[in-house]
Amino acid sequence: MNNAVMLLEFNDIRKSYGEKVALHVPSWTMQSGEVVGLVGSNGAGKTTFLRLLLDLLEPDSGQVLFEGRSVVHDQSWRLTTGSFLDRSFLIEYLTIGEYLEFVGATYGLRKADVARAIEPFTNFLPVSTADSRRLIRDLSTGNAKKVGIAAALFVAERLLVLDEPFANLDPPSQIRLKQHLLRLSGQGLSMLISSHDLGHVTDVCSRITLIGRGEILRDEARSEETLESLESYFSSEETGELT
Amino acid sequence: MRALIQRKSWITWLVIGFVTFYVISTLLTLGFFFESFSRLTLPGVSPVLVVNQYLLAAFLSLFFIRFLFQKTPRMKIVPYLHLPVSRTSLATFFQVSSLATVHNVYPFLFFIPFWMRFVVPDAGLAAASSWMLAVVLLILASHFAILYLRSTLQQHTGLFYVLTLLLVVTAVIDEWLGAGLQRMLSEFLFTDILRGSLLGTAFVASFTALGVVLSTRSLLSGLRPDPPSATREHPWLRLPRTAERLLAADWGAEGQLIRLELLLMWRNRRPRHYLIISLLFSTMYLAFMLGPGNRITGAGMNALIGLFASGGFILNYGQLMFGWDSSYYPALVTRNIAYRTLVKSKLVVLQASCLVLFAISLPLFLLLAPDRMDVHFAFLFYNAGITSVLVMELAARNRQAIDIGRSGGFFNYEGLSSRHWIWFIPTALPPVLFMMAMGNHRQLALGILASVGFVSIMATNLWARYFARGLQARKQRMLTGFRE
Repeated sequence: MNNAVMLLEFNDIRKSYGEKVALHVPSWTMQSGEVVGLVGSNGAGKTTFLRLLLDLLEPDSGQVLFEGRSVVHDQSWRLTTGSFLDRSFLIEYLTIGEYLEFVGATYGLRKADVARAIEPFTNFLPVSTADSRRLIRDLSTGNAKKVGIAAALFVAERLLVLDEPFANLDPPSQIRLKQHLLRLSGQGLSMLISSHDLGHVTDVCSRITLIGRGEILRDEARSEETLESLESYFSSEETGELT
Repeated sequence: MRALIQRKSWITWLVIGFVTFYVISTLLTLGFFFESFSRLTLPGVSPVLVVNQYLLAAFLSLFFIRFLFQKTPRMKIVPYLHLPVSRTSLATFFQVSSLATVHNVYPFLFFIPFWMRFVVPDAGLAAASSWMLAVVLLILASHFAILYLRSTLQQHTGLFYVLTLLLVVTAVIDEWLGAGLQRMLSEFLFTDILRGSLLGTAFVASFTALGVVLSTRSLLSGLRPDPPSATREHPWLRLPRTAERLLAADWGAEGQLIRLELLLMWRNRRPRHYLIISLLFSTMYLAFMLGPGNRITGAGMNALIGLFASGGFILNYGQLMFGWDSSYYPALVTRNIAYRTLVKSKLVVLQASCLVLFAISLPLFLLLAPDRMDVHFAFLFYNAGITSVLVMELAARNRQAIDIGRSGGFFNYEGLSSRHWIWFIPTALPPVLFMMAMGNHRQLALGILASVGFVSIMATNLWARYFARGLQARKQRMLTGFRE
């Protein structure tokens, strides 16, 4: 970790919707190779965090840096970042193959290159004959999500950003996804994963950032006690206690 | 132009106010002072007789306007389907509430004053009341017929082409061959009603009742979910193989984006309907404009014909070039796609559409108006070079999301703001005004328009860079608008 370079920096980020502060992050950093899990209740600010990182939202103040460069002013982060937040990342009138080809082409990959790049993830895709010929909009929520995640996985060179990747997936797919994430993490890919599934996120991530009411409440390396501590936090969240 | 667009809110309201005032005052004036107009066009004929002759034609025109704009209640019902209320009750409620539309109101701005000034004194209160009842019933019949037609067309798209063909054949027989069938039928029906016959009113009433029953039944049957649109079940959802090969080859991101644009039109109901309507404008409407019975000459009319003949698609579809992408805009802006590439692919599609429409409407010019071939050629370049850029300027500032799969009916402009229509004026007006200003120097005017268009086509890369800068600057506003 000592040789790792700074990949992401949130500097005095503030995002409000009217009077309500959705996110306020005075300082947060992530180094290359880290796998960070973002956890928090609904409306805590996790998705806002990811949207700011992907330049899908404009902060009221502060800036997000990717390898030292502002994600707003220098779009080079898109070259090496794979992301999937929700269905708006899918082009639903394409078939699975067409969508993957399209995503690949935007990264300069030809059809054959796409087939090679996606090959390690084929066990995660809905590959039945019926599904492969269907338009994405006709797939189930879970299967459509698999397509989006797979597209993010195969183009991510430096950073992978996923929002609730385990939600809506059947158990075998959750296990396969976890295996893929662990393998990619072993290869040095940096990841930022938001999830409500505390078990999966603590299995995959080496660091956990807990967000609540738009602020970072806790940010620490995963340990043996992390899962228990998070469960304890969420079970007492209503009373506002932080154990 | 940019400054004008930035001030769109009050300009939009100003134009809406002006257009509303114009329409209301025109209809009221026509209703109150119809004899002044009929004296000019049909001297010596009673105003009531003139109106009776053209009532069916007027209702047909209103029917066309309804077809484009009238909303269907289908999408409104869907959120209530899970409630413990019978579907028939829901359908009845929404059918009745759908009557509250401007399409059922504005015709009365003409009919009420006309009825008071001319029909009552001419035929007496009793017969005049029957006449007004028939008018009301026809408005209701049009309303429900539109609901039925659009719902039926949604389930049987092929019917649209059959009906269009039928309309063309009827119009040709009626207008071009001079049969005047609709005028005869209209005069017969309404003069009969004014003579106190109940048969005519009963005929219109039964037509209305049929409309109510059919539209309600069709609304109920249309509430079943749409079947999956698997390519396996609909092979036509694939682009033609040649196009696939051409586009899927190694054209890189630009080729993929053009392919995406074509698939968007091919596979999604609303963009596809816009494409079909654009083709109809550029062929059928053009045929009527150029036809012997309707031939209107003049520099301004030439410009309008030229604009629509090859630019019909751009004018109809182009303003929404980014709106169509609204549901997956994040998929485009988080990928490694340069805005310049995105804009260029869209400009190329718009320019190519001019060439396709030019070729499609070329036989019409050769057959009906060979003397206007120069207009057609000049506007090919003008539309591809300038109209495409003007429309792209509007598209790049559109922040309204468009639901590409919205299944409220076969086709309409539902969901489009008045802005879409208002900005059509500055897009179409410059060449019209220019041609009119040039007066008798038609060849010179066309030469200038074509040259400007040609230079603009050559500058496509520069335009792409210009629009890319604007899109980058407005990225967050567009994302926010599309999310909302």
